[in-house]
Amino acid sequence: MEALATAFTMVFEPHTIVVMLGASLFGLFVGAVPGLTATMATALLVPVTFFMPPITAIAAIVTATAMAIFSGDIPGCLLRMPGTPASAAYTDESYAMTRKGQAELALGAGLVFSAIGGLFGTAVLIASAPVLADFALRFSSFEYFWLVLLGLSCAIVITSERPLKGIVSLLLGLLVACVGLDNPAGFPRFTFGSTELMGGVGLIPMMIGMFAVSEILRYAVETGPKLVIDTRPIGNVMRGMWELLKKYPMQVLRGSTLGTLVGALPGAGADIAAWMSYGISKKFSKEPEKFGTGHVEGIVESGAANNSALAGAWIPALVFGIPGDSITAIVIGVLYMKNMNPGPTLFTQNPQNIYAVYLLFIVANLIMVPLGLLCIKVAKRILTVPREILMPVILLFCIVGTFAINNTPFDVGVMLVAGLLAYVLEANGFPIAPAILGVVLGEMLEENFVTSMIKSDGSLLAFFGRPIAATLGALTLAAWFLPPIIRRLRTLAGA
Amino acid sequence: MKTLVRAVALAVAVAAGAASAAYPERPITFVVPWGAGGGTDTTARYFAAGLEKELGQPVNVVNRTGGSGVVGHSAIATAAPDGYTIGMITVEITMMHWQGLTDLNPASYTPLALVNADPAGFTVNANSPFKSVKEVLDYARANPGKLKASGTGQGGIWHLALAGLLNDAKVPQSAIPWVPSQGAAPAMQDLVAGGVDIVTCSLPEARALIDAGKAKPLAVMDSKATPLFPNVPTMKVAAGSDWTVSAWRGIAAPKGLPPDVQQKLIAAIKKIWDSKEFKDFASSKGYGMEWAPGAEFASFMKKGDADMGVVMKAAGIVK
Amino acid sequence: MKFNDAVFGAIFLVLGLAIVVHVQSFPAIPGQQVGPALFPGLVAAGLAVCGVLLIASGLRHRSSQPWFVAEAWTRSTRHVAGFAAVVAAVAFYIAFANTLGFLVVGPLILFGLFVMFGVRPATAALVAVVATLVIWYAFYKLLRVPLPWGVLTKFAF
Repeated sequence: MEALATAFTMVFEPHTIVVMLGASLFGLFVGAVPGLTATMATALLVPVTFFMPPITAIAAIVTATAMAIFSGDIPGCLLRMPGTPASAAYTDESYAMTRKGQAELALGAGLVFSAIGGLFGTAVLIASAPVLADFALRFSSFEYFWLVLLGLSCAIVITSERPLKGIVSLLLGLLVACVGLDNPAGFPRFTFGSTELMGGVGLIPMMIGMFAVSEILRYAVETGPKLVIDTRPIGNVMRGMWELLKKYPMQVLRGSTLGTLVGALPGAGADIAAWMSYGISKKFSKEPEKFGTGHVEGIVESGAANNSALAGAWIPALVFGIPGDSITAIVIGVLYMKNMNPGPTLFTQNPQNIYAVYLLFIVANLIMVPLGLLCIKVAKRILTVPREILMPVILLFCIVGTFAINNTPFDVGVMLVAGLLAYVLEANGFPIAPAILGVVLGEMLEENFVTSMIKSDGSLLAFFGRPIAATLGALTLAAWFLPPIIRRLRTLAGA
Repeated sequence: MKTLVRAVALAVAVAAGAASAAYPERPITFVVPWGAGGGTDTTARYFAAGLEKELGQPVNVVNRTGGSGVVGHSAIATAAPDGYTIGMITVEITMMHWQGLTDLNPASYTPLALVNADPAGFTVNANSPFKSVKEVLDYARANPGKLKASGTGQGGIWHLALAGLLNDAKVPQSAIPWVPSQGAAPAMQDLVAGGVDIVTCSLPEARALIDAGKAKPLAVMDSKATPLFPNVPTMKVAAGSDWTVSAWRGIAAPKGLPPDVQQKLIAAIKKIWDSKEFKDFASSKGYGMEWAPGAEFASFMKKGDADMGVVMKAAGIVK
Repeated sequence: MKFNDAVFGAIFLVLGLAIVVHVQSFPAIPGQQVGPALFPGLVAAGLAVCGVLLIASGLRHRSSQPWFVAEAWTRSTRHVAGFAAVVAAVAFYIAFANTLGFLVVGPLILFGLFVMFGVRPATAALVAVVATLVIWYAFYKLLRVPLPWGVLTKFAF
């Protein structure tokens, strides 16, 4: 109880409140500008949060991402161009609604059900994380080895249309994680005589490169036609929301549940949650023939799903240090930098920090509604921000931000290479998320394997010697042989 | 034209001269080779804050982590010796060149002051049947490979502490295999969870779990008992071994720092070290206080460096 | 910039094999059952296998997937130049930030990119200077990041 009180004072401290408001506006803006994603918002925030106390830093990331995922709906609705990939699933739907003169309903549904989905995901986070953490206290290196391997396997199964390309991406990430001296043997690998490389390839420079610089490169080569904004004024978007909630309670619940689950699975985030949810919504709808013609039902369900996924992704990130999506992959990097190492002890030793994180999620999803309304009001102005000015400024910000983490131009080079690589890989159908996961988890995978081998005197059987380890091991093996079945389910859901 | 050039040159020279006289006139960067929140970081931040007050310019701490300290140590050594980049160097600087990880050694720096040193401990699980280090070593000799120890990464200072002890006590290195960890805290957790049997990190690092009654210290690898746990015997008492080792921290600048800047920095550091606040800070954290300015710090490192080379070879950590 | 899968397959195959060969030189660690070579070796071997599979798939879909497809932008000088400018801007920063200083390099980069993306030169110059100063103030003054002064060191504060 005392910890909860401490958490309150940590969150409702003027500095944190100001940061949350600033991060909200930043998130709303980034989400609303097509081509800037929620992950990019996080990557750009890190250099700034680097200089904040831990809770304030987390506050900035939580609010900015929640806002960005919602405001990604705005350009989708008005320009037929999703602001973030998480809105792509229902962009056509909401644009069709705008064409029918129902832009208010589409935007309102996006806003209100984003908030509801976010709160649902938060509730699941609050309910499940401590239980899981309690369970995880009994984990040793054997269990962690399997858990990491299971997470990596899930990422491949869920995220890629073509598992082969996902696996390649993952392997590349794992190789990057091998670079440097920080391996169980303390032996410098792939450093080519460079002192900088002994420290390994920095996660934050890489993320900024992969999610921000690659996006700027894509802008530079964009040849599509200029987008036309619907010029009709936007009325009261809150009208009719209560009726929607009464009409589609099942859809909200289903979307939020699926979103939280998908978010919690490593490698799959808000965008995949939205696609799956939209598919399921259509499949189970009483009026599936209306989907695609400007029907709000799918927006309600997948709008809730993508925001609940955000909270869901924090569950494995906080409890096991295994990121649920690309955003929490960055968050884990931040937590380590702040000496708030994720893991079950985070819950036992400093419960006030965890309570503060819960509170942040609740506050972020609540202030989303008024701030979102404000954002919708000025949406047209945001959408006309000249991107030829915005993009170079973001690039300079990326450079300085990357430099700020370690004060070395070497990291700026890492950022550039990562950006080019991500651009080429994505242009050729290789997903990026598995690579990120590989980089984040590679060290953990190897370390837990090597220490387990030392503890068991080299016996592989020991990996199945403890009940939880054996169960996790069996699950992992199952994940390798189940993909065909799951892929069939996916096609069913997406059809 | 020539007069103009000369005038400009003079103006520049005056400006430059004035600059060094007025050191520091812009923010100073304080490099820490280890992660935020750890003991080195906490100590460094304490001195950075103190220097900021003494020198009247911002002193910004930068954590250059990774590569077992190589990256950060290199960042300090290769910076411009103008007094605007200084840093905290640690015992690893006397180890890593023996391991062939870098060419850097204590002579690559302008030493300013040694500020702290913490001896290695010898901690076991609270439920461990062993009551002394001697019992542990005898058991290990009879049952090689049964007991596992941890505390830091492969080849790190606490690994060396164990290796040196085994070497001194004539116990084969393979009798107690080393389980590399990400640092003292995860090693202590693994000790409590039963994953390893011994942790050789410093006692301040083990303190939280010792105080919680989950771990018990059997010895400290120093010539005298530590004020933090006065009842914990020295290694001489606990196992009849003369082996001592400690992790130390000092403040240094790149090689070739102008003498006037050196004097100014050393005086400021001494003032902070002498303060009552620092003594309170150190005793609250359980850190051992140690002082050796400039040349004394250099000879301290030189001796430590030679000793490390001998022990690391004898213990088989390096060839 | 779309390549046939076989092209990537070949690259990954070579990369994977090169790493497998390279890790053979890694030493064994006394007291550890598996050395530093095992993990990267396994990963690289996996990459090589994936390379072979990609080559196979690329050759199978040879008819629908040409070796190389140049997207529309590669035929537009303006877009190619834009792409190159972004890369050059970052490279320029890495090469000259320390010697010239942030306050010199920043406006140059921004101005160059603005003009490249079609902003009018007068606007570009103004925004380049203002944006650099804002970023500089935020990072150097507020966040205390030691951005390099370069040629302006004498005026540093």
